[in-house]
Amino acid sequence: MRTLMKYEFRKTWAFKVLLLGAAVVAEIVFLIGLYGGLDRVLGVSVLLLTMLAICGVMAIGLGSVVQLYRDMNTKQSYMLFMTPNSSYKILGAKVLENGISILLAGAFFFALGALDITLLFAHEGQLEELWNAIRQFLSQIDSRITLDFSTMLTFVLSILASWISTVTCAYLGVVISTALLNGKRGNGIISFLIIMALLWLSGFIELRATESIENVRTVFVAQSCIALVLSAVMYVLTARIMETKLSV
Amino acid sequence: MLESKSITKKFGSKIAVNNVSMRLEPGHIYAMLGPNGSGKTTWMKMGAGLIKPTDGQMLFNGQPVGIESRKSIAYMSTEPYFYAWMKVKDVGRYYADFFQDFSYDAYASLLKRMDLAEDLKTSALSSGMMAKLKIAVTLSRDAKVFMLDEPFNGIDLLTRDEIRACILENAQPDKLMLLSSHLVEEMEAIADRAVFLKNGSLADEADLENLRETRGLSMADRYREIYGQEGA
Repeated sequence: MRTLMKYEFRKTWAFKVLLLGAAVVAEIVFLIGLYGGLDRVLGVSVLLLTMLAICGVMAIGLGSVVQLYRDMNTKQSYMLFMTPNSSYKILGAKVLENGISILLAGAFFFALGALDITLLFAHEGQLEELWNAIRQFLSQIDSRITLDFSTMLTFVLSILASWISTVTCAYLGVVISTALLNGKRGNGIISFLIIMALLWLSGFIELRATESIENVRTVFVAQSCIALVLSAVMYVLTARIMETKLSV
Repeated sequence: MLESKSITKKFGSKIAVNNVSMRLEPGHIYAMLGPNGSGKTTWMKMGAGLIKPTDGQMLFNGQPVGIESRKSIAYMSTEPYFYAWMKVKDVGRYYADFFQDFSYDAYASLLKRMDLAEDLKTSALSSGMMAKLKIAVTLSRDAKVFMLDEPFNGIDLLTRDEIRACILENAQPDKLMLLSSHLVEEMEAIADRAVFLKNGSLADEADLENLRETRGLSMADRYREIYGQEGA
């Protein structure tokens, strides 16, 4: 499994290095804007960092779906399926490598964001006062809403876990399209509809399972756990189809 | 050793392999012959476990082909299949990582013999160089079964001689070699048995010496008999 994961990482490392490089550049621009008193530069860098965080994490997931499609529909598929590894291992390496990448990228941007906010507050005292006022205002509207560090952390975790589950849904759609509907008319549309239905179902399950929970932090933790369990179910289902039906 | 039992593969309404039963034994070099679309590649891919049969079974040592058989079966596709980011040395490392029977020393030696530099990018290789690389990496395994799909495709005469020599050196009593090719005369110099596929079905399976002794026919003669104008 580790060897498979090594090669999965090797296939995607160029994009990850590019993302990291872009984040470093944006961070330098942020620091120049902050300490050089250049408000416009600061604003642009904050926007850039936010976009990089959101789009970067999304692109890591989407990239792995495209890679899975390539690994099953081009001659490169022999590189994987000729080796003495089961589909469970092959797909497991993809899910793990991508899941870890998404979590690490999320953690990196979360830590960078926390650092930048701290620097910003230290440099611009009135911003912290504004932040505290927003927090107080929100808690007066609904006492369950708290903007502390641990709530933010669980929120980010639930977003990342939910994205991982979305990616595994897409894996299942790609495998159904390739292994079960290959060559059949409208297989792309059918696969897309299956992915949408799966996403709706997982969203419905998350909603129903967490609607009675009062504490916001607990809701985020529960959502994360449900998303990860759904990812595991999608993985087993996808690997089972690959193992029994896939021809490359 | 490698056996197909009433194996059939359909792609939609097209039947690529139709109810083929045959048993290939170690210690022989088999030539798998037939015109385009006769089912050679599909049969080999089912042997390598890359394609699932629609019906019937593919067995290796009595067990269905799968993860275990892939440890002992070396398959070389006719199309290039390496990742574009790979250099020639990465291909060897990849095989070393996944196949216990792979020898990097044997690989390095074959590369030298084939005049291929380890630092070349696979995406920059000509078709001839790619063919040599595929042969080198496949024959560097100490596998029990070698299935080489069109090993002489796009290769010049001298390299063909080199590849033929490599194949013959790898042929041992406990190994089975199966080669497909359109170059019937080329195969005649290597193979001792032949399998003829026609429209996805098994047309004949012959011991070439026996064919010569009993009917006075060469492999090419038998090919002409089976395929006539269609295979010419």
